Order: sequence, then C-alpha cells, then structure tokens
Amino acid sequence: MAMHKPIPTPDADSRPFWEACRQHKLVFQKCNNCGHVRWPAAVICPQCHSQDCHWIESTGMGAVYTFTVYHQAFHPAFKDELPYTVAVVELAEGPMLLSNIVDCDRAGLRCDMPVEVVWDDVSPDCSLPKFRPAG
Amino acid sequence: MSWQDKFAVVGVGYTPQGKIPDRTSMSFHLEASAKAIADAGLKKEDIDGLIAYRHFPACPGEPDPTPQLLAQGLGIEPVFMAQDANCSRSQLHQAMGVLEAGICKYVVISYGHSGLWGGGFMQLFAQVSGNETAFGLFGAVGGYALAATRGMHEFSTGPETWKHIAMAQRKWARLNPAAITHGKPLTQEQYYASPMVAEPLRTLDCCQINDGGRAIVVTTAERARDLKHPPVLIMGVGQHNPSNEIAQARYMAGPSGAKKAGEAAFAMAGVGPKDIDSCQIYDCFTYTIELTMQDYGFFEYGGGEEWFGSGITAPGGAMPLNTSGGQLSEAYFMGLTPISEAVMQLMGRCGDRQLGPGTNTKEPEIILASDNGAILQSHSCIIFRRG
Repeated sequence: MAMHKPIPTPDADSRPFWEACRQHKLVFQKCNNCGHVRWPAAVICPQCHSQDCHWIESTGMGAVYTFTVYHQAFHPAFKDELPYTVAVVELAEGPMLLSNIVDCDRAGLRCDMPVEVVWDDVSPDCSLPKFRPAG
Repeated sequence: MSWQDKFAVVGVGYTPQGKIPDRTSMSFHLEASAKAIADAGLKKEDIDGLIAYRHFPACPGEPDPTPQLLAQGLGIEPVFMAQDANCSRSQLHQAMGVLEAGICKYVVISYGHSGLWGGGFMQLFAQVSGNETAFGLFGAVGGYALAATRGMHEFSTGPETWKHIAMAQRKWARLNPAAITHGKPLTQEQYYASPMVAEPLRTLDCCQINDGGRAIVVTTAERARDLKHPPVLIMGVGQHNPSNEIAQARYMAGPSGAKKAGEAAFAMAGVGPKDIDSCQIYDCFTYTIELTMQDYGFFEYGGGEEWFGSGITAPGGAMPLNTSGGQLSEAYFMGLTPISEAVMQLMGRCGDRQLGPGTNTKEPEIILASDNGAILQSHSCIIFRRG
C-alpha cells in the first residue's frame, strides 16, 4: 500500500488559515491593539494579550530565515522526495512559517534569499503553502 | 535566600547501555533507580520524592513508563512525584524545591528508555505530530539542523568546528569501557564520510540512540554528610525556557536559553567560567555544545572553531568536556548523561577517565553541567562542587 504524506489537521484556532489555503490565500491574524501579526493562530496576541484581531492576507513574499536538506526519510512517504528542503520562511508581514523550498537547486539555497509562495494542492481539501526563489 | 551549596547529589545508578535486547523501558528505570538508591547507601523506604524524565510515547507493546509504574516497581509510596511530557528541564529545580520546602528528604530522578532495541526512538522520529510533518519535518535532527544552518549564517561555524567536538569526545570514550563507542576511534576522514542526515548535520553530529537508564539521588547537604560517598554539592542552578517551537525561534544562533540559565547559575554559585575545571554539556548534536559553550561565555562569539580546534576539551586539555564520551559517544540519557558524569568525576569514581594526573588534567573542584530540552526550548545549567 502506498504511504500517504501526513496532511495538516486544522483545529479551532488554525481552521481559518487552512480554509484560506484551499483558496490559495495566505492569511494571518493581526492584533487590533498592538498591530502584531501572529502565527501560529491563537486566541490572544503573544505580545499584548489582546483578543481583538482581524485576519489579513499576506503578499506571500518573504525570505528564507533558515533551511535544512533532508537526506534520510523518517517517514516512508518522503523516501521518493529525497533530498528535500525544509525551511523557515520569514514573511514580509512578520510571521515565520515552516514550509518547503521548491524549484531551487541546492547550490542556490541560502539564508535570507527572497522567496514567494507557490501552492501545492495535495488533495481537494488541502493546499500547502510552499516557497520558491523570487525575482 | 540562595540555594548555594544547600543540596547535594549522593548516588548514581547505571544500567547496561547500548543495544540491549529483551528489556523494557521500565526495566531500565527500575534498575537505574534501585542502583542509585543503593549507591547512596539508602533504603527504598527513605525515598519520598520521585521525578521521572520525559514521558516518551510507550515503545511498541509496552505500557506508558509513568512514575506510578516506577513507584510500584520500586515498592515505594512517594509524597511527591513528577514527570514532564515535552522535554522541559526542571527536574533538579523540582527536587531542590521539595527538599527546601521540607516536603521530601531524598528524591530520585530517573530516566529509562528502550530507545533502540525497543524501537522507541524510531517511533518517536516518525511520529506524525503537528502540521509541520506535512512538510517533512521529522525528528529532533531537523529542528537542530535548522538552528545549525542559521548559526553558520550568523557566525563562523560548521563541520570544521563540529568535527573537533565529535573527535574529542570519542577520545574520552576510549577511556570509558561502558561507552557505546569504546574501542571505535574517530578520524577526521570518518567524520566527513559520515552520511548526511539533515544538512548540515551528519550522523556523527548526532547523539547515540540506545537502550538503558540512569538515575541519581538528591538530598540536602546536611543529610548528605552522613551518606556513603563524598557529597557533590549543587553550587548554583539556572534555568531558562525560551519555549518557542523552532519555526518561531529567533535564538537559533544564540543567545539561546543557555545564556540566561548560565548567568543565573554562575550568579548563584558566585563563580565564572574561569573557575570551572570541566564541563559536562548536553550534546544531542555537536552544534548544541558549541552554542551552549558560546552562550556561557567560554569563548568569544564565533570563536568556536579555534577553541575546540585547540584540543582544549580532549584528554590532556585545560577544559575537559564530556569526559564519559557524552551523548555523542557514551550513551543518551537526557540530562542524566552530563549530570551523572559531573557527579562521578567530583566523587573521584571515573577510573581510567578520571580527571587528574591520570588524564593529564586538573583535579576537579568545580564542574559545570548542562541540560537542554526540545529544540533549544528549555535549558538548565548546574554548577557542582566537591563537598
């Protein structure tokens, strides 16, 4: 039996984020009190503890904060992907998001490189935000 | 009110370590705890506090290794029990707190895991927990690799530094017959030939995955005087929990939790890095050691390659580090690998690897140990001295 990759399981806090992903929109909560844009989704702002916030749509532009290239698969569904790149992307709006870098040679990978979001439709119910070199 | 020199570690329990077939995680907890109690010269009835290290998911076919099962197996009824679930490192603080409050007289801190033969670690690594596994982030190695890449970006580090760390500890393991890598020397060529796991970390940057257990007994300095071994006093402790998961961490290249935890421990102990005779550092990965020692202030920011490359941490060096071989080359028992080695060195019970004339090192009066949990999310620093 072919192994499927794990897919995100939205909870009450993160559901708006993953629902927006299905429409290829990257959204985050912005605090109405202090302006902090936060991720992961949460009921309060970690900066000021205000519960007052609204969702904003990200431009999907950011920079690679750091990355690692996996050469061993810890889950059978990732064996065919090796080597693959996991990265932390710092979005222009502020949040840091764990994702993959795609369409990029190993030699081209570096911290602080500009990237933009691309969408991986892994199932009719789930699209994952991934990133590729920008510009 | 300071805790300086008020508490002591008085016993250490060892078990077989490596790939040990037909043993459960609980069997290692029980053997280590029972041996630590006997090592301290205590009876099981004396133990009134029981703290188990992290509750890993149960190995296939085994029950959860809870402190209740441990107490049942030891035949004790503690008045205080604790176990964390996610790698915070408050075990010694908890023990000192309940001793200070007079709630407990003798506290056992225990770790046991059938991590290799029992399949515990592979199960943990492949565990689908959290949405980040959708992107292929598995195992602690992925998180530390992300941190190490950022470290390489922000200051001068990389495999050129980490190979010195791995090789020095293998030299110490040569002097420790119980070390899993005893009799397996490590050359620079072997280090570089070691397979990449998650760039920039190679297999030889990673700690051992093993079966086994380790335990210690903690009590007050006053009670320690009447026991079997010369007590090892806790001069200072500090803890800091930056807590953010790796994707939210801005401290991957430091200052990590080691900075504030170290400052607190040094302040309580009334000493500084120059007073430390040896370090026993939590070494899940080579990079963890470099970051920890840098944040403690043992060398200038970015000076790790020169410092480790000088051989200062190897046998014969001025700052012997991870003298059992550490988690990289002896065995992995969470914080009890470094803590137990600090205690045994100060008790003078380390055989061929004993610090002093036999290893061409200074006879130790003060040893610093560190404990670190999750992906740099929790850090404890403990400064011990000969009692």
